[in-house]
Order: sequence, then C-alpha cells, then structure tokens
Amino acid sequence: MTWRQPRADRDSAEWWAAVARHELLLQRCDDCAGLRWPPRAMCAGCGGFDWTWRPSAGRGTVASWIRSHRAFAPDLPLPHVTVLVRLADQPDLLLPGGWSGTGDPPVGRAVRLCFADIEPGLSLLSWEAAP
Amino acid sequence: MTLRDRVAVAGVGRTELSKNSGVSTLTLALRAIRAALDDAGLSLRDVDGVATHGVGDSAPAPVVAAALGIRDVAFMLNQSGGGGLSATVVGYAAAAIATGQAEVVVCWRAINARSEFRMGGTGRDAPPLAEFQYQVPYGYLAPPQQFAMLARELLDGGALDERVLGTVSVTQRANAARNPRAMLRTPLSLDDYLASPWVVEPLRLLDCCLETDAAVALVLTSAARARDLARPPVLIRAFATGGGDTLYSTRRTTLAPSAAALMAPRLFGAAGLRPEDIDVAELYDAFTPLVPLQLEDYGLCPPGGAAEFILAGQTAIGGRLPVNTHGGHLSEGYVHGLNHVAEAVDQLRGDAGDRQVAGARTALVSAQPGYVGGVTSALILGGSR
Repeated sequence: MTWRQPRADRDSAEWWAAVARHELLLQRCDDCAGLRWPPRAMCAGCGGFDWTWRPSAGRGTVASWIRSHRAFAPDLPLPHVTVLVRLADQPDLLLPGGWSGTGDPPVGRAVRLCFADIEPGLSLLSWEAAP
Repeated sequence: MTLRDRVAVAGVGRTELSKNSGVSTLTLALRAIRAALDDAGLSLRDVDGVATHGVGDSAPAPVVAAALGIRDVAFMLNQSGGGGLSATVVGYAAAAIATGQAEVVVCWRAINARSEFRMGGTGRDAPPLAEFQYQVPYGYLAPPQQFAMLARELLDGGALDERVLGTVSVTQRANAARNPRAMLRTPLSLDDYLASPWVVEPLRLLDCCLETDAAVALVLTSAARARDLARPPVLIRAFATGGGDTLYSTRRTTLAPSAAALMAPRLFGAAGLRPEDIDVAELYDAFTPLVPLQLEDYGLCPPGGAAEFILAGQTAIGGRLPVNTHGGHLSEGYVHGLNHVAEAVDQLRGDAGDRQVAGARTALVSAQPGYVGGVTSALILGGSR
C-alpha cells in the first residue's frame, strides 16, 4: 500500500520520523511559546523563526468524525472511520487520524493517542477512547 | 475607485453537461468561449484577456489563449485552486477591465470531472498540496469525506438535521425539473433522500454534487461597451474575496464558521446593498450543508434561522429567496461554480424560462465558502432591465 506512505517534505520529514518512533511532536515557538502543527518554519502568531520540538501528551477530544462507505483509496476495508482530534495541548490544533476504538467516536469524546503499525516502516496516528 | 457597475457580463456560453464529453478540456473551453462570444456579438479578435482556474485538471490559460489565436494577451489569470476561487476569476477579470488593463476578457471553467479527473484524486494521484500528506495515509482525501467532517459538526451541534439537508436536495431537484439543461430532472421526495445510500456518513448520495464534464464561459467588458452589444448587459455590482484559515493554519478550533461570514460585510459594503436586497441567490453547493451555512453567513436569513427558512420553502422558486434556481451542483451539474454565475445572468436577463424568478434584479453568487481551501469569493450582479 505505497499510497499510505506519507509524502514527507523538507518541513515535515522530522515530524514523520518521530511518528515512525511512536512519538507525536509539536513545534513550540521560542519567542511566544505558541504551539503549532503541521510543522512550518515560522510562527504565524509572532513571526518568530526559532522553535523547539515538544512532545504532545497525546490527549484530546473528538472534534468531528466520518465513516467512509466508498473506496476513495485502494485496499482499505469498508466502511472505515476517520477522526479529527482537537489536541488538549492547545485547542487550535486539529489533527486527522485513524480510529482504533470500539463503536462510534462521538463528538466531544475524550481520546488518547495510540499508534497504528500499518506495515514495517509505516506507523500512523490513531486514537481510542480515553478511560 | 470602486468596481461598482463599471463592468458587465456581455455574453454567456455553455457546453452540454454530461458524464463523458468525449473531448479534451481544451476543446470544452474553446466551445464554451466561442458560444459566449457569439452570445455577446463579439469575435475572437476582440478578446485581449483570459481568466480561469483549475486544480491541475484542465487546459491552462496560456494554452487556451494560444488556441484562441490571441497575439497580445493584455490580461491573463491562471488561478490554481478549487471552488473557493470560482468568483475570483470573474472579479479579477472585472478589475482588470475597470483599470484599463484589458478590454474584453473571457472567463471560463472547463472540466472533465467525471470521465478524466475526479475531484480529490479519486482514481488518480492525490492533488499535490503539501497538507494532503497528513490526510492521504488515512484514506481521507476526497471532497465528500472533507465536507462530511463539517456536516458532522453542524449536525451534532444541533444547527442542522437530516430533514434540512434533504429539503435542500429535494428543493433543488424541483428547480432542475424546470431546467432543460440539468443532468437530473426527476423530482425527489424526502423519503427518496432518506433512502439514498451513505457515501460518507453523515452525507448520503443525494447530499453530494454531480461529477460533470462541461465548460461554462463568460465574456466581460466595460459597461459602456456592453450597452452596444447584442444582449442586455448584466452589471457586476460588487466582488469580494476573503478568508484564509484552514484546518492547518493553527487559528481555528472548530470547522463551521466559514470564510463567507468574515467576508460578507465587505461584499455588501462594496455593493452598497443589504442582504434583504438580494432577489435570487446561487450558492455554491458541492454538498447540501453548504446551503444553510451560507444562508446564515451571508445574512440571507435570520441568524440561526437557516433550518426553519429552508423547511418553510423560502428557498424554493416562489419563496422569499429562491436559491440555486438551476438545480445547482446537486442537480444541474458541477462546473465548479461558474454555472452558478451563468444561471444568475439568465435570471437577471429574464432568460430563465420556466424557472424565472419574477422581478429578479439583484443576484448573489457565491464560491465555495472556504472550507478546505480557506479562501472564498462572491459576486453581486445587478440586472439591467
């Protein structure tokens, strides 16, 4: 399933490398301390170019979710669920991911990060209900 | 200096709407442009500007300009992007005419969106947008998936329910039944809607636009020149573009407030009009939730009142504000917003036949309200009758 291999670019290569190690990183601006994702060179809040990776606690809530009944990409079992998670680290960080929980992931549900190992060398973000 | 009433749509051209045009996007573009010039009573040699947009799915503007035989292109716009930009193609072309950059600009959108390049990469590679790397690995890439995320937030938040979405679909099909060009004209009931299969929960098949092969073209020129041409000019009263936040811009905590809500006051300010002055609205409707969303964001119904407005039949022809009188993307066909501009021109010329809104003098035409791409745009067109 080569289409599932992330097409990392020069801004995102380190972030994806961390996901492969089962780590979720965020950028923290050295000037204003704002967090940001996805990885970018400049802070949109203050214009600062200096930043440091900071691990996320991997907690959040379900901002939205969908269940796809049609095959828009090959080889995925149908139907499949995709979630959009609002990170607890900062409320304007919205990340797409897979769903490893049982049942539906209702909006507002507290979730925690797990990682889905898709194939050797490929891990992706996935989420499950937080206890 | 403002744009108000200085530029006119002087001609409209359309190809057939189909599932398989059998021809290239270049051929579609040329057919629609030639038809629009014929409608205006102008010739190829009058054209000195070209404007289009696309997502890597269509003949680019320089190729079309060369194929039109234009030797000295005074204005060229080759926007890269999707439905949020549809009105910018017309708006920027109008600005070029108003500032003397060009005299006659053809605007078009040509797509083989069913037979060649389906939106979002279905059946081919995903679009080359950097942010797609964060979605594609989850099999999350196609427009119905992206808009289903928005629909879920609106439905779970209580702003909408499935009867409202179904009524949008049913109402627009009733409009399409009066439109000989429309791809789908068989009337629908709410039960038909509720029985239609899921594409991406919470969106059903009948929440989704068609995938269409077609082109639409417009000819723009100064209001002064347009008065001497073949058809009654439809004046461009105002244009605006705005927004910019996306899911990936670290400024947004929810999906719903659209760029249209931010932009609408500027649009109406530029027009010197209020939402109550709009007689007919052609609202970008790739998916049903965008109709109630925009009714509220443009102030076309009371705040929080879109569901009631739609359920009461106010968006039907004969209602307080007829919406998507041609059937929209849901039932006429999907020409990425430009068929909505063409329909507004028909309405304001009094050319809309069985679907004519009586006394229509002012129309609002919106682009995709900025979800996914961030940016939106819209036009207010004023009638000449």
